[in-house]
Amino acid sequence: MAKQEEDRILRRWTPILLRSILVTAMVVLAAGLVMTYTFAPRYYVERYQAVQHGQMIGKEKFGLLLDRIRQGNPHAVLTVGLFILTLVPLARVAFCFILFIRERDYTYVVLTAYVLAGLIVGALAGAAG
Amino acid sequence: MLEILIDLLALAVGAGFVGALSGLGGGVFIVPALVIFAHMPMKVAVGASLISVVATSAGASVAFVRDGWTNLKVAMVLECATVTGAVIGAYLAGVVPNVVLELLFAAMMLQSAYFTVTKRGDDILTKGDPLAERLELAGEVPDLSGNLVHYEVVKVPQGGALMVVAGLMSGMLGIGSGALKVMAMDYIMHLPLKVSSATSNFMIGVTAGAGALVFLARGDVATTIAAPVAIGVTAGALIGSRVLPRVRVESLRAAFVIILLLIAAEMGWRALSRI
Repeated sequence: MAKQEEDRILRRWTPILLRSILVTAMVVLAAGLVMTYTFAPRYYVERYQAVQHGQMIGKEKFGLLLDRIRQGNPHAVLTVGLFILTLVPLARVAFCFILFIRERDYTYVVLTAYVLAGLIVGALAGAAG
Repeated sequence: MLEILIDLLALAVGAGFVGALSGLGGGVFIVPALVIFAHMPMKVAVGASLISVVATSAGASVAFVRDGWTNLKVAMVLECATVTGAVIGAYLAGVVPNVVLELLFAAMMLQSAYFTVTKRGDDILTKGDPLAERLELAGEVPDLSGNLVHYEVVKVPQGGALMVVAGLMSGMLGIGSGALKVMAMDYIMHLPLKVSSATSNFMIGVTAGAGALVFLARGDVATTIAAPVAIGVTAGALIGSRVLPRVRVESLRAAFVIILLLIAAEMGWRALSRI
């Protein structure tokens, strides 16, 4: 496929991808805040004051997070919203990576693979450290 | 709770609005706003800011990519450098004392103020260097009369080196480092200014995303702060981008510089008073 076609696909689908994930994340975050205000306002104030003193909750296990969402825990809904937001760059780079493989544009396959690996290694290093 | 939420949303909307009008992004303003007005520790502000920067970059990039202002290939090449810097920077933010982060933030504010004052016009090249040609980085941009003007790109390694620094600062300080990125593309690689700004905006999402993933995975993002801040900064940036075409940004430039200098002074003073 020609370079122009590659560019056309990127310019058409990248904005759709960015906007879809962004809107989804914002809806989940807004829902999480409404749930917090409705069901756990005191917990929110306590957490806010604890954070002001540098007391963080720390790492949250993904399995536990899913359980808490099933229980309708507002804090878990907010956490998921933030995770969805961080999917924006990952999804965008992954989309480019797949497109360049399809186009056999190997220079850019290597470059996007490096960026993708950097994002994943960063997350794994954060989880480990 | 409602009072806290309204305060956070107001700070975030204001930061996103001024960030969009100044072209420096919301991160530059939300970090000091959270530290100074909400009394948050620097690392909490950085974590919340990184998340919000991902959101504003995605929102602002949509139109720039669709309308052809963003040079996608330049972005993909330089993202290799910014992601490397951002992951290292986000790691360092976990071990470097808050005082050092605040001093670095003050220094970055001075750089942003300098950039705002010295923004220069386009210097379009018709011949690129071999590496840029091999990577097919050249592009086209419409001039004032709507005709497409071809531009070439040079000095990719030098631009990339500055991008590592931009990524490092982004991961450590929770900002998009847009001023450094635009400087690298405009001053060193000779991309047209509007292409540099649009491409920088597009890249900021990946740079901040790399840092945000490290912070989130490490458990260093305060959900109660980051969630309203992300919504507020995105809303503020959206309002700012709508207002932008109707205001004379040139006349606001002095105000932006004064705000940046005040932030630099306040953050620098806070850090130095604790040494």
